[in-house]
Amino acid sequence: MQKPKIAVLYFPGNNCEEETRDRCIDVGMDAKIIRWNSKENLSEFDGFIIPGGFSYEDRIRAGVIAAKEKIMDKVEKEVDNGKLLLGICNGAQILVETGLIPGLKDKVEMAVAPNINPLVSGYYDAWVYIKLSNNKKNAFNQFYKNNEIIKVPVAHGEGRFITKDKNLIKKLIKNKQIIFQYCDNKGKVENKYPTNPNGAVNNIAAISNKEGNIMAIMPHPERASFNWQVPNSIKNNSKTNAIKIFESMKRYIEENKL
Amino acid sequence: MGEVDSDLIDIESMSDESLKYFLKQNAISLTVSESRRIIELIGRNPTLTELHIFNIQWSEHSSYKSSRAVLKMLPTKAPNVILGPVEDSGIVELGKINGEKYGIVVSHESHNHPSQVVPYEGAATGVGGILRDVLCMGAKILATADPLRFGNPNGQNKNKVKYIANEVINGIAGYGNAVGIPNLAGDVYFNESFDDNCLVNVVCLGIVKEKDIIHSYAPKNAKDYEIVIVGKPTDNSGFGGAAFASLIIDEEARESNRGAVQVPDPFLKNVLIRATYEVFRQAKKQNVKLGFKDMGAGGIMCSSSELCSDSDFGAEINLDKVHVSIKDLPPYIIFCSETQERFTWICPKKFTKTLLKIYNEDFALSTIAKNAKAVAIGKVTKNQDYKIKYRDKIVCNVPIKAVTRGIQYQRAFKEPIRNFAEPKLEEPKNYNEIALKILSNPNVASKEKCYKHYDRNVMGNSIIESGQADAGLIRAVPKSKYGIALSVDSNPRYGKINPYLSAVNAVAESMRNIAAIGAVPAALTDCLNYGNPEKPEQFNDFVEGVKGIKAAAENLYLRKTKNPVPIISGNVSFYNESSKGNAIDPSAIIACIGVMRNYEKAITMKLKKQKTNLFLVGNRKDELGGSVYYEINNILGANVPDINFKEHRNMVYAIIDCIDNGLLLSCHDISDGGMFTTIAEMILGGNADGNIGAEINFNYPYLRNDKILFSESPGFVFEVEDKNINKVKTIFKKYNLIVHKLGKTIKKDSLKIINSKKTIINLSIEKMKKAWTSGFVDALK
Repeated sequence: MQKPKIAVLYFPGNNCEEETRDRCIDVGMDAKIIRWNSKENLSEFDGFIIPGGFSYEDRIRAGVIAAKEKIMDKVEKEVDNGKLLLGICNGAQILVETGLIPGLKDKVEMAVAPNINPLVSGYYDAWVYIKLSNNKKNAFNQFYKNNEIIKVPVAHGEGRFITKDKNLIKKLIKNKQIIFQYCDNKGKVENKYPTNPNGAVNNIAAISNKEGNIMAIMPHPERASFNWQVPNSIKNNSKTNAIKIFESMKRYIEENKL
Repeated sequence: MGEVDSDLIDIESMSDESLKYFLKQNAISLTVSESRRIIELIGRNPTLTELHIFNIQWSEHSSYKSSRAVLKMLPTKAPNVILGPVEDSGIVELGKINGEKYGIVVSHESHNHPSQVVPYEGAATGVGGILRDVLCMGAKILATADPLRFGNPNGQNKNKVKYIANEVINGIAGYGNAVGIPNLAGDVYFNESFDDNCLVNVVCLGIVKEKDIIHSYAPKNAKDYEIVIVGKPTDNSGFGGAAFASLIIDEEARESNRGAVQVPDPFLKNVLIRATYEVFRQAKKQNVKLGFKDMGAGGIMCSSSELCSDSDFGAEINLDKVHVSIKDLPPYIIFCSETQERFTWICPKKFTKTLLKIYNEDFALSTIAKNAKAVAIGKVTKNQDYKIKYRDKIVCNVPIKAVTRGIQYQRAFKEPIRNFAEPKLEEPKNYNEIALKILSNPNVASKEKCYKHYDRNVMGNSIIESGQADAGLIRAVPKSKYGIALSVDSNPRYGKINPYLSAVNAVAESMRNIAAIGAVPAALTDCLNYGNPEKPEQFNDFVEGVKGIKAAAENLYLRKTKNPVPIISGNVSFYNESSKGNAIDPSAIIACIGVMRNYEKAITMKLKKQKTNLFLVGNRKDELGGSVYYEINNILGANVPDINFKEHRNMVYAIIDCIDNGLLLSCHDISDGGMFTTIAEMILGGNADGNIGAEINFNYPYLRNDKILFSESPGFVFEVEDKNINKVKTIFKKYNLIVHKLGKTIKKDSLKIINSKKTIINLSIEKMKKAWTSGFVDALK
């Protein structure tokens, strides 16, 4: 069987494209970095990842310019028929700015706003814990058990998922679109610092679309995929549970391929 | 001599007074006698462009005119050195992976004056410049580190100090985070000597295969190769930056100096770096040899002249081809401006097309920053002339070696009167109170507010992040277990008392830091921050500092050899003084680079288990001069820790052996705040989330308790399980060292210290945490 093939997009200013590509390869997929101005045919890819960084130097608002790039139209066309799309950090901001997340209406429904953090204003880098918010399986959470705690770093200045639409969060909960929430090291979801590093509503760390083939996640699983990457863990090459996001993508693609 | 078509400045017939006036009017900081020396060198009066060229090349910053003679004494050679401090970065061997030798590329610079004037931009361009220095060796950039020195946050200039500190930290974050380079290490000290002159040093690490190194000089047979510049269009920013770096900051001149600070563009840099990696790949594929150099001080002039001169070529450049963002700039500004985000390539004609395509089409630079691009501006010539044309006129035509040779001074130095004495300090009654005061001192307290503002794990290679241990550690190469460790050190209060011992301690401590995680010191870099070299007392501080580095580097040895720990890169920053003429505390800031064969063995400082044993190596001595304990008592003292080289290297290599054999659970070196602070920090851990306490119980009646606990004499505290105690002792015995058992780790969340059955300290973790995590935050508030 052919390996699942992932395109990792690079917009000017992104800076996590290499390690994101490497994690796809680490779990047995093919992956390739595609520049924003590339003429490459995207239909040959099974999934897409928009990595972290500062696309277009966060001009105007993080993610808003990349969201309007031509290549995003092509990506949207590809994922319309169920291909995978993951946005990590700046990638998550871009997905919110395209309206693909949460994707209930054909417009932008949320924002990823500047952090509210009592220690550091602006860019904040720290290790946090996240866990599944519901038991519905999608393309990215296949291997997680309920209450499984994932240690993963956040590194952003604008990571606070918010919305003006009072009913939206209720809908997201009902649709089981909130995938990961920030929790403490015992798994308790409490909306306070440092458990919630940025003040996101409902401790949201990751949201998917209703169909579950698109996900926006603020923390960086590609930086927490092996034990040696995780502070104070026993340093070895064993995989950690954050890498299961990539493993899940692989399995989903393999199982859903015709 | 070289013919020119533009007007000559008649220096020869000007009186000293009118020449002085002329130089001042043209913002040229050459002295009268230096200006006259130009005539001797080129055999005629110079053009204005030529005069500006010599102004920059003969600045302290570019020529090292005061320091070069002294720097020669530093040991720069050792079997593991691939490239010493001669090009933009030094390179030390990492090891062989799959039969190929890899080098760690290191550069260490300062951006002190710009950061004092415009702190955000100054610090950001400091990061920007160091990234270019490492990249242009053909390397992949891996990490940065930032040693910072700010004024007294509670003194009379506190508002400005806090403003500068916050903006510098923001500038470093704003640049490094955006480009996507992890911040691996650093330190911060506050001290009133930095009130008018902060220090912003920056270190950068990269990795390169030895065979892929690109040099900062034109390759062999480069005649007729093209000179290609790439990056941001040239403007007038940073014109005279090198000369500015060599001036004392004058409050009144601050406004006019702002123009000498460059404008950072991390967004363009992000794309430029990726495009440049692609050039590396293509050049390798096509087996093309290139020359490559960062454009820093002196801009196109400095980079092109050094690239060609260092391989005995000349150059012909047409300034009309340079892409600019301001119309009608005079030629010397186009030629010498320090516009950021630019590089110079020496490129064979057959490869130019590929190179231009990568930058201009594939990575579409002009869509990233207005009019940014790569463009050929001239060629390498066989004759050694440096010929510059602008609007069909030759504006410079001088022997290229005259431009690059520089000048040298033998500066006078004189030992200043230093009258330091040990105080008569009463023994404290309440040790708990003193202990908390030390933990909350901003020079000891947790720097999380600083490093949590930096991206520490972008690239996904970070193994030990800033703040978790004495040194940072990153994975060197994918699929291999090699790690690279980095730490930075220098204590300004030691420098005030004794600049020689301060430098010795900086080298020794940086090596202890590397050893404390289990890595092996491989090389050093130095950034030498001092006052005015024209003042004999201040120059003396510099000479003493260099002597201290030399002594420590030569006597602390590379592991299992008698070779010195080589100094492979460095920088000198003079004229760090206030407008009142007071120099900063002498600061030889040292970075140590360590190699770890197997990063799985690395340990951090945080206690790992209950009911294990804590040991000490390194005797406590009456060495509290410059200590934090004296600082909180508002005294300086005299006894700076002296380093017994033999004992110190034994201690360092014994610790490394123990960690290599997996015998230690945690380890932390003793420095600021003494042994008490070391133990407290091991309990707290980098994130102040530790929950294992300790009970320390010893019988040591020979020294007063405050001296035992707070002396900063070198040493380590480390954690050992029962089953490994004998093995650890055997290793130390082999090095003729005795280890002292201090006590046990305990379940209870407190630190209790008992000497000869008397309890001295008894503090809860919660209290220590509060003190340790508030001191630095308060200083910046």
